[in-house]
Amino acid sequence: MSKPSDLVQGTLNVLILRILELEPLHGWALAQRLKQVSNDVLQVSEGSLYPALHRLEQEGWITSEWRSTENNRRAKFYSLTRPGQRQLAKETAEWSRLSSAISQVLGLREA
Amino acid sequence: MLNRRLLYALPIRLRSLFRRRVAEAELDEEIQFHFERQMETQIAKGLSPEEARYAAMRTLGNTSLVKEQVRDAWGWNTLSNLLQDIRYAIRVLVKSPGFATTAILTLALGIAASTAIFTIIDSVVLKPLSYPESGNLVALWERVAFLGPDATGPNPRHVDVWRKGATAFRDIAIVRQSTIGLARDIDHPNVVGMVVASPNLFDVLQVSPLHGRTFLPEDGVPGRGNVVVLTYKLWETVFQSDPNVVGRSVRLSDVPFQVVGVLPQSFHFPNRNALPTVRSKQAMTDVPEPSIFLPLAVDLSESSWTEYGNWIALGRLKAGITPEQAQSELQIVQEQVLEQIPTSERDTANNAIVPVVQPMQEAIVGQSRRILWFLMAAVGGLMLIACLNLANTQLARTYRRQREASVRGALGAPKWRLVWQALLENLLIAAVAGALGVVLAGIGLTLFRRIAPVDLPRLSEVRLSTEVLLFAGGLMLISAAIVSVLPVLYSLRSDLQASLQQGNSRALGSRQRRGVQAWLIGFQVFGCTALLLITGLFSTNLLQLLNRDMGFRTERVAFAQVNLTSQSYGQATNRVGFIDAVLENVREIPGVQAAGFISAAPLEGEAWINGVQRVDKREQKGVLMNLRWASPGYFEALSHELIAGRFLEERDRATRGVLITEGGARSLWRDETAVGGKIEVNGIQYTVVGVVGDARTASLKAPPPNMVYIHYGEQPPYQLFFMVRGNQPSEALLFDLRQAIWKHAPSAPIARAKTLDSQVRESLGMERIQTVVISAFGIAALLIAMLGIYGILNYSVATRKQEIGLRKAVGATPQCIYRLTMGEVGMPIVAGLMAGLIAMVAAGRVMSGMLDGVEGLDPLIVTTVLTVFVSCAIMAGFLPAWQAASLDPVDALRSE
Repeated sequence: MSKPSDLVQGTLNVLILRILELEPLHGWALAQRLKQVSNDVLQVSEGSLYPALHRLEQEGWITSEWRSTENNRRAKFYSLTRPGQRQLAKETAEWSRLSSAISQVLGLREA
Repeated sequence: MLNRRLLYALPIRLRSLFRRRVAEAELDEEIQFHFERQMETQIAKGLSPEEARYAAMRTLGNTSLVKEQVRDAWGWNTLSNLLQDIRYAIRVLVKSPGFATTAILTLALGIAASTAIFTIIDSVVLKPLSYPESGNLVALWERVAFLGPDATGPNPRHVDVWRKGATAFRDIAIVRQSTIGLARDIDHPNVVGMVVASPNLFDVLQVSPLHGRTFLPEDGVPGRGNVVVLTYKLWETVFQSDPNVVGRSVRLSDVPFQVVGVLPQSFHFPNRNALPTVRSKQAMTDVPEPSIFLPLAVDLSESSWTEYGNWIALGRLKAGITPEQAQSELQIVQEQVLEQIPTSERDTANNAIVPVVQPMQEAIVGQSRRILWFLMAAVGGLMLIACLNLANTQLARTYRRQREASVRGALGAPKWRLVWQALLENLLIAAVAGALGVVLAGIGLTLFRRIAPVDLPRLSEVRLSTEVLLFAGGLMLISAAIVSVLPVLYSLRSDLQASLQQGNSRALGSRQRRGVQAWLIGFQVFGCTALLLITGLFSTNLLQLLNRDMGFRTERVAFAQVNLTSQSYGQATNRVGFIDAVLENVREIPGVQAAGFISAAPLEGEAWINGVQRVDKREQKGVLMNLRWASPGYFEALSHELIAGRFLEERDRATRGVLITEGGARSLWRDETAVGGKIEVNGIQYTVVGVVGDARTASLKAPPPNMVYIHYGEQPPYQLFFMVRGNQPSEALLFDLRQAIWKHAPSAPIARAKTLDSQVRESLGMERIQTVVISAFGIAALLIAMLGIYGILNYSVATRKQEIGLRKAVGATPQCIYRLTMGEVGMPIVAGLMAGLIAMVAAGRVMSGMLDGVEGLDPLIVTTVLTVFVSCAIMAGFLPAWQAASLDPVDALRSE
């Protein structure tokens, strides 16, 4: 029942926001897409996806609506909100700053 | 930006909080959808449905856990934790019903008493009067130097000058209150409260009628004033709410009046007790509510410039003008008034007649304000004692449950949550107690209204209101906070590990902790002593007043009041005839020992005060004395003491023989003999035929007034009081007395017939209710303090069982054990007693200003209170101490 560490959770949030930026998706499709785009490197438990989604929704970064899927089933689709877009931009910038700093440090040691 | 986010976030948050079922259903559906899609994919990959199912389950993990985590994300944890904590607190309280009941009852009583007193204060003192913009309404008085320091009702001609000369007022009305017999058609007359007012009264009060009209200026023209306006209540009772009442007629005494209007239901005019014309300390009486209004149709230019104390003036200030500003303006206008006063009656001293402007509300609430705030302070003290007592018990419970707290702490419960739980328990107790308290206060107020004295103004307006409920709620929170402070502080400071290691209860009664508890007891004793001393003070005051030598005897005496009107009895000879005839009938009542007539009821204050001069020594300054018109037999009926000369006799009717009281005689004649001397009152000379003993006929609370008793034959009054002493209980006389009056005049309105004993009782109504309320507080405080002492000793003995056993085993005598246990609270109790005593000696001086019968704390009160308290304390402490002393050492040592 332990919560994902801040880093993991923060990463998951960013990933969800990024994927939803492309198109609204329901939970299952989001899970598949996540696996797909990370080439199965990021092993996100599908179970932890939902708490993350609901948390993001409570924050107001994503919003949800019930719609029919391509084979006419009712599913809850999540989409990015305007504040969500801003949050994504902020976190992306943060992430690239951090990762470049880290790779710089790591590169230094390699050299 | 934040706002925009909230735009999305708020609805979803609210939904997950308040529409839980919908949110839950959607969550189920969402997970189910995921599950099914996963299964479908697996089946598409070629797995059997069964295998696909398991595979889907594996990828999703524990769905209940997932849902739980989602709920976590919704932020329900705080809420469900709160519910859990509340359930826990309820369980804990239910498991210790004794504690819970005592705690709730103690607090409920405290809250009930405070709420009740606050309700009265709120309705009587804090709420504005029920007139529009009542803040602008003022009462106007005059402080007349020769009448004493208290302001009195102003002279109507002076008011007329103010009205014309002062710019601070929109208008000023004058009002005189009395009672009158009212009848419809041929009914027996009913006595109702009557207000004679200048026609502008309702403009000043800004009250418009429910039916018909109020007064017009022409109603004030002499000879045209035969119209009346009724209050809603009178309209309801006498006219059965007849909507066509306007134009009907009523008989007041024997004169028909035409009803022109009905006032709205919310209209309430202060009665004579609430707005007296003479503002001295005097006993009040039961007066009927003002319910019929007559316009003043008299030409004021014929009335006196020097008569005071019969009228009330009510003014409305212009917006933005303060009463102080109005008063300074009136002081300038007053110059014109002083010029008008005939030189012979002019008092040349500075500030001989000073106008006084007072907010109307203050004028009405007046004296009651101080006593009410005092009661509030007393009940606050009681409440504090109750809270401290509860705090002490809770502290003991915290000690006892320390191990439980330690274990929970060790298992990871955050400290704030443990603290929160302690707080919650007290909040719960306080909430139940608060609800119960408000109900009790409601019941108490109903009772109070039944026994309350007649002279508490605005009593009819007392009711529970929103403010009162807020007050009770605040009190609830504060009491919970007070009770929680010590236990919370303790558990914040407590050391987890140490308490876990201690392991058994032996360490529970450590010296320091018991010290805190003992000093809490000390505080309670302090409050309790103070309250008990106040109780003593009030009770002694009441007893002193009741047992004072009144100078007359009340047993087996009854009296009846008849108000004659100028319309039917305008001629003095008619009134004399009425009195003569009724006296004759009264004396024929079987068993009557003495009967007489007097012009003012006993114990209703001084009235008809006039300067009295010695004829033979005109240079000597006159003495202010009360004039009374009386008949022979009056002094015998009241058993007045004859000091010199003789009582009034029939022959004094013609010879102008008068009686004076001893004090008056002394100030006029010093050591010389007064009998036979001549005095002059209002330009008429009288001969003193006797001197009667000083008697407190005006008020039990004031020194005996100086009196001149004149035979009624020459200037008979309109208000008549027939006094009769019989040889049977005075109640039995009442019927005969009424019959004797009606035998002469069947339509005579008898304002009241009552016994002199009840008159005495009622005149001390306020003192009695104060004493009852304060005594109740004192007794409650004593009980709570007893409970506190018993509780802490009992607890201490329980936790020190082994220690006591050990001491006994090594040879401690029972006396040692008594000293050991009871000594624990000895110091704090003594300190509390002393502190309470010192505080009350200081406060006693302030309070004796409120009490007329006592000077302050006397040794008798102090010793009584100390004896009562110490013996109660010993009783409370004895049981636990006795238990300790009779402990079997073997059992005690084994009890681990």
